[in-house]
Amino acid sequence: MSDTNDFATSLMDDMDPGLLDLIKNQINSFIKWDLVRFFHDNPHTTDTADSIARYTGRDVRTIEPELLQLARDGILQMEDLAGMRVFTLTGDEPTRALIQDFIAACDDRQFRVKAIYHVIRGLR
Amino acid sequence: MPSDTRESEKRQRDKLQRDASRVPTGIAELDRMLHGGLLPGTANLVEGAPGTGKSTLGMQFIQHGITVCNEPGLILTFEEFPQQYYQDAANFGWDFHAHEANDKLRVIMTSPEVTRADLRQINGRLESQVHELGARRALVDSLSHFEYLAEDPVELRQIIYEFINGLKRLGLTTVLTRENAALLGETPDSEEDLAFVMDSYVMLRYVEIQSAVHKALLVLKLRGSNHEKDIRQFAITKHGIEVRARFEGTQGIMSGSPVMTHAEAFAAAFLKG
Repeated sequence: MSDTNDFATSLMDDMDPGLLDLIKNQINSFIKWDLVRFFHDNPHTTDTADSIARYTGRDVRTIEPELLQLARDGILQMEDLAGMRVFTLTGDEPTRALIQDFIAACDDRQFRVKAIYHVIRGLR
Repeated sequence: MPSDTRESEKRQRDKLQRDASRVPTGIAELDRMLHGGLLPGTANLVEGAPGTGKSTLGMQFIQHGITVCNEPGLILTFEEFPQQYYQDAANFGWDFHAHEANDKLRVIMTSPEVTRADLRQINGRLESQVHELGARRALVDSLSHFEYLAEDPVELRQIIYEFINGLKRLGLTTVLTRENAALLGETPDSEEDLAFVMDSYVMLRYVEIQSAVHKALLVLKLRGSNHEKDIRQFAITKHGIEVRARFEGTQGIMSGSPVMTHAEAFAAAFLKG
């Protein structure tokens, strides 16, 4: 047990605190990770959960709760458009910059391994 | 001043005036067929089978606007991911990433239902993007996805009419692509219906001539202006679309399977004999 904690501590030690907080509290599932990457790649997209499910190749029943949580956590904006609930990437610049840092950091395999560890740990 | 010179100057002035009131596509020979280009603030349909070059034509229109005319552009995509456009554009040497970074272009992936609802709003997202960017041109790729919004052709036509009027209200000159399921041959009636609400209609077709597939381009309609009516060959080169000479010695090109004209058939038979 203590070995596991030591390992976790060592993983946290060399991770940017802002990114660690983002992974632990906002991007704390693999579906959210996919969704954040999708909105990072498509920052001008505003669409319904149905369409986003189609774009990301997932079931709408799976992604809708995750979209709602991302909206609640300030990663996405949610609004009503003619009776449709639509989602778009937040316009908040610091949050966008943090997401940009996260996506850029994901290019590094070591970072990805650590991030995956934290997401799995959070899912338990 | 000799009258010939005056006449020549007048012609030059008229030409400049005409050109100024046009939106060139950047495809030189197509612009000549259109007598200078598309008309500003209009909706222009480019229809053709998969792979004929509809999106390429649209991207070239956007690229030309940004780099030559200083007219920023929007791409509304209902199918392809923006990454696909960046990649396809790069194959022609067009740097869409740089255009986006320089606030000259936005590639927006969305759905027809959301775009339609957004356009109906006052100060909707699309309107804000147009104002922020100073966009003058748009590519809608593709209009075929609107078919999911209504099964009834009359209702669909009304939806599309409303949509293109929304784009016009924003002052955009828009190229809208539409897929034709038939690889060769005539356009289904429903597609011709749609052409009525468009300001111009360019058809791209595959044509089989002597066991080889060629590509044909025809400007079927340009509302409010004359245009060339000949059927031209075209190719997708490493620089984009290049419209070439008209088809010679064949007739029935748009059927997809043309036949030789009487004169050509006679000459061929004569040479064989």
